[in-house]
Amino acid sequence: MEPLRNYADQEVSEQVKVTGEPQRKTKVRKRRSWIAGLLLLIPILLFVFGFFIVPMLYILYLSFISTDNLNGADAVYSLQNYITLFTDSYYLSSMWLTVKISLYSVLVSLILGYPIALTMAKSSPKIRGYITLLIASPLLVSIVVRNFGWYLLLLPNGTINQFLMNIGLIKKPLNLLFSELGVVIGLSNAYLPFMVLAIATSLYNIDPSLEKAGAILGASPMRSFLTITLPLSLPGIVSGCVLVFSLSMSAYVTPSLMGGANVPMMPVVIYDQINTLLKWTFGSALSYVLLGITLLSVFFFTRAFEKSKFREVFR
Amino acid sequence: MNAITFDVEIKGARKQFGSNVVLNDIDLEVKQGELLTLLGPSGCGKSTTLNLIAGFLEADQGDVYIKGKKVTKVPPYKRDLGMVFQTYSLFPHMTVLENLSFGLKLRKVAKTEQKKKIDRVLELVKMSGLEHRYPRELSGGQRQRVAIARALVVEPELLLLDEPLSNLDAKLRHELRAEIKRLQKEIGVTTIFVTHDQEEALSMSDRVVVMNAGEIEQISTPTVIYNHPETEFVFQFIGKSNSFEGEVIETDGRKISLKLGEEIIHVNPANIIGENRSLRAADEVKLYIRPENIHISSTRETSSPTMELQPAKIIQLNYLGTSWEVDVSLQGKTIQLLTNSYDSAWQYGSEVYVGWNPSEIMLIKK
Repeated sequence: MEPLRNYADQEVSEQVKVTGEPQRKTKVRKRRSWIAGLLLLIPILLFVFGFFIVPMLYILYLSFISTDNLNGADAVYSLQNYITLFTDSYYLSSMWLTVKISLYSVLVSLILGYPIALTMAKSSPKIRGYITLLIASPLLVSIVVRNFGWYLLLLPNGTINQFLMNIGLIKKPLNLLFSELGVVIGLSNAYLPFMVLAIATSLYNIDPSLEKAGAILGASPMRSFLTITLPLSLPGIVSGCVLVFSLSMSAYVTPSLMGGANVPMMPVVIYDQINTLLKWTFGSALSYVLLGITLLSVFFFTRAFEKSKFREVFR
Repeated sequence: MNAITFDVEIKGARKQFGSNVVLNDIDLEVKQGELLTLLGPSGCGKSTTLNLIAGFLEADQGDVYIKGKKVTKVPPYKRDLGMVFQTYSLFPHMTVLENLSFGLKLRKVAKTEQKKKIDRVLELVKMSGLEHRYPRELSGGQRQRVAIARALVVEPELLLLDEPLSNLDAKLRHELRAEIKRLQKEIGVTTIFVTHDQEEALSMSDRVVVMNAGEIEQISTPTVIYNHPETEFVFQFIGKSNSFEGEVIETDGRKISLKLGEEIIHVNPANIIGENRSLRAADEVKLYIRPENIHISSTRETSSPTMELQPAKIIQLNYLGTSWEVDVSLQGKTIQLLTNSYDSAWQYGSEVYVGWNPSEIMLIKK
């Protein structure tokens, strides 16, 4: 039998052969290039630190203050904000609502997005370019403008309800606006491009001869898709879902315009706490809980796939 | 019914991409159990031909028959073939075992039977014990062995090999070349092999199909292809050659007398290549001679009565391991020759004697 060759090991052993003086030189050179790289990064690191990390830490600090006095000797530090949050049913249901609507948006954009991504992957580069442009074009329009477009379509006497009533399918207008359905429609529409582009990217990376190999072995196109293309596109599906989920979790404009008071998703609640009720500290605690839920969901979702029987795909 | 059974028949196949004709009415018959190679430069139509047989392309005109059944419009997944691709095309998310059982599952082979078949085929390709590895964990050569095993495990009607060795390094390529040949003979599966590498084609095949610009130039055994090329293209494409200009003096049916420089030589009409075989006096011809058919010696004496050696000067010496490639200047013209009988006294500028048998000369009418 042919001895097992591990090419990765071979490369390492070749590097080890370099001995003495030259090795030290490469080390020095490596350190130098490392310092040069760091110098180039300093502006952006300072920017991120000053305008992202510091405010985030300040919000974290605020979330532990349970008095209206934000600083100075009168401030009382406690976990009271977090305790209220996790005991009051209003906030608990808002958390659940946020997760639920985000999951629906993920599902809708996945179902609508996958076929589009697949079409892009099968098209010539020229057609692919056109579809990309078409898919990305909504991103060129402000989300507020886009939402008002939906607004007009979904109003009780809007285009969709009028049409459905005119053809006699419904007697009285459907509650499309200011409902969970409306928010799901708005969110999945807004974040569809992210899903499509994420999936398309992973589909582009699949060697087209794999499907040929499947076909020659006797797999029908459907079978080839289910056993080869779909599993191999999982990394794209996962990153698309993670993107749409996180964006939906933190969306403010769409839930407030299309859901209003009927759909109090967490970002809307946070906005009200801070801007209307001026409860900065409670709003800060809510923000951190939202961040926590999002990070944990994403972590476990990704983890579940990376530990699944398809883990090889994620390497 | 034909006396000889053909496993594959292509009749009048024509394929066009836009205005570009990639296959121009080709006919091809593949005998049962043979290893047939489609050889040619890129764009000659060899891959298109293979894709017609596999079913990935459909001919604009003409038909494809596999084992006597017309399959022109049958999709690839219903053709029951095995195929090995240039890029291995192993399913990266499946282990070796899962890759091999893919086709068996689709054929609804029982679990125990699957295991038996997989064990047998892994042993054939010398990959036993690596069932649970992922393709990522295998070297290029191992991947291609698994790919061959995957194609064979389903016991296909035909084995199609699409440049399976061109991604491997020279040593592995040699090793697998012999391996594929051995496997093919052992199993007896009719095999169609596509390559642009003439050495591969000549060393592996029972028959070689030389293709050029969408047409078949010659179908024959490797020795006939090499020694008796039918067209100028085949001659130019296969092997190296030295060329000279000559002029016909007279022909008498049994021999052609030519003027080559100051010399008169006589050549057998069987050595004429190409469509135009009737030569007349004063026709201009091109003469070709293979490097290995040119003799070189330090002295003028020769044992062959038909060969006359002439003085030449060495201008280049290349050692190839098993032989020497020598460039000499003969009457101001550089010719290349290949020799095993090397004189260690030779060096750049050495005076040597070279010559050839007129029977080794090939002729093409200009």
